[in-house]
Amino acid sequence: MGANKMDRKEQMLGYLFIVPAVVYMLIFIGYPIVYNWIVSFQDVTALTLGSDTRDFLGFANYKAIFADVTFRKALLHTFVYTVGCLVIQFSLGFLFAMFFAKKFTFSKPIRGFIVISWMLPVTVTALVFKFMFAEGNGIINAILLGLHIIDQPIGWLLNGNTAMLGLIIANSWVGIPFNMLLLTTGLNDISTDIYEAASIDGATGWQKFVRITVPLLKPTIMSVLVLGFVLTFKVFDLVYVMTGGGPVDATEVLSTYSYKLSFQLFHFGEGAAVANILFICLFLVALIYLKTISRDEMM
Amino acid sequence: MKHLNAKQKNILMNIVAVIVACIFLFPLYWIVVNSFKLDNEIFAAVPTFWPQQFTLKAYQEQLGSLSVTLKNSVIIAIGSMALALCLSVPAAYGLARYKVRGMKIFVLVFLITQMLPASLVLTPLFLIFSKLGILNSYFAPILSTATISIPFVVLMLRPGFLNMPKELEDAAKIDGCNAFSAFFKIALPICKPTVITAACFSFVFAWNDLAYSMTFNVKEAMRPMTSAIYTFMNQYGTKWNSIMAYGVLLILPSCFIFVTMQKHIVEGMTSGSVKG
Repeated sequence: MGANKMDRKEQMLGYLFIVPAVVYMLIFIGYPIVYNWIVSFQDVTALTLGSDTRDFLGFANYKAIFADVTFRKALLHTFVYTVGCLVIQFSLGFLFAMFFAKKFTFSKPIRGFIVISWMLPVTVTALVFKFMFAEGNGIINAILLGLHIIDQPIGWLLNGNTAMLGLIIANSWVGIPFNMLLLTTGLNDISTDIYEAASIDGATGWQKFVRITVPLLKPTIMSVLVLGFVLTFKVFDLVYVMTGGGPVDATEVLSTYSYKLSFQLFHFGEGAAVANILFICLFLVALIYLKTISRDEMM
Repeated sequence: MKHLNAKQKNILMNIVAVIVACIFLFPLYWIVVNSFKLDNEIFAAVPTFWPQQFTLKAYQEQLGSLSVTLKNSVIIAIGSMALALCLSVPAAYGLARYKVRGMKIFVLVFLITQMLPASLVLTPLFLIFSKLGILNSYFAPILSTATISIPFVVLMLRPGFLNMPKELEDAAKIDGCNAFSAFFKIALPICKPTVITAACFSFVFAWNDLAYSMTFNVKEAMRPMTSAIYTFMNQYGTKWNSIMAYGVLLILPSCFIFVTMQKHIVEGMTSGSVKG
């Protein structure tokens, strides 16, 4: 009886610490997500914004966006962008992690310093890359012209295909250190004994990489890729500032298109519907992520 | 590399690392250098790697608008940081110290909400805030940016509280400390470095935010620096020296925090963004 009472008291104290933050997140993220689904089935425009009785539309907003060419392009672009970023930031991040895992005098401080690109405001990152990719006075054209790789300046962000490439490069600049750090943590967990034993058996560097590093790093690689997918797929600031979804709609992604529908065209219902499609994509990938980490070590 | 001895190899590796870092961090250098250039140098067809004429003109031109936007940025970042810490530090402690029922679900709430982007809740939050009448106030960006930090800080701090020896608090409780003074007087001081790192992260997250502030605070007087610089770019698209000067001011807090506490930041980033 006494122990039970103690236990109840402990429970209450625990909740006192935990519940405020949980409730806050449920109010400001959980409720809006539910509300977003409701809005996506309603007729919400600038006119009906303030009224309490909005017409129920059923799936009309979803039908409208799926019939919309720009939406379908945005969906495709989001995947192209995400896969492009993942390929670059994962492979270079891996390369960086392997390189800085070698123990030389300044390996740790230099590795740490590179991480700064992850902490900078994305707005500023987007602006400086926009400047570097500029047609007339951009440094990238100047270097490529100087090396005679191109003989005419390229309007990187003014052309559909190269604009997407520009976005992918800018985002990878932020993503590389992130991938590097997470992979470094994984690399550090691999015991050096295994490598030494392999060396004694005459394994080459490449064999050690393929037979030891990659298999043992597999759980880390999985979570880096899935987490990278989620963080890249939701891109907003970078695209919004660098290209605004343009030229025309060549770099429009789900988040920028949702923003446009809601806050420039005031079709809040359709904007909410696009955001929900984004949510479904993220949710499916997040499920995979939660499955992989609960298998590892989490709770 | 086989014919090199260990010392030569070490030197070579360091040189390669410095070159890699210099190329990688070039955009950062480019922001700073261009903020000190004059207009004619910016518009020149061939960019210069170092300002021909070093000038602070681009900064002086921004002083007028800066007094408003800087103030807004500081208020939003500090408000958001305070709110996020008050909620998330106790939560991280509670999740580490108390075996409450539903613990898994609580951790899951933070893991999931941390992954959800601003663009997902922009429309509904706008509608909710408009009903509450708090658009174009400090409340809207503070309340919304805190949702970025709270899950991050909870996941980042929990391992620290878990690793803390429980005996210390038990001894304090025997000496008559209650649960709250054990938290404030024992746990917080021990985990002070990570709590400070968490504070830095939540400040920077709010300071860096564009999406929430831009959407909720349309009035010019309520805009923080991030949305002001974006508007400025749309108006004067090619005045890159002024834009970069604004950029330098915007990256200052993260650079300062980064340089002073790099080690903690790097550790916190790994634990905060992955798992509890």
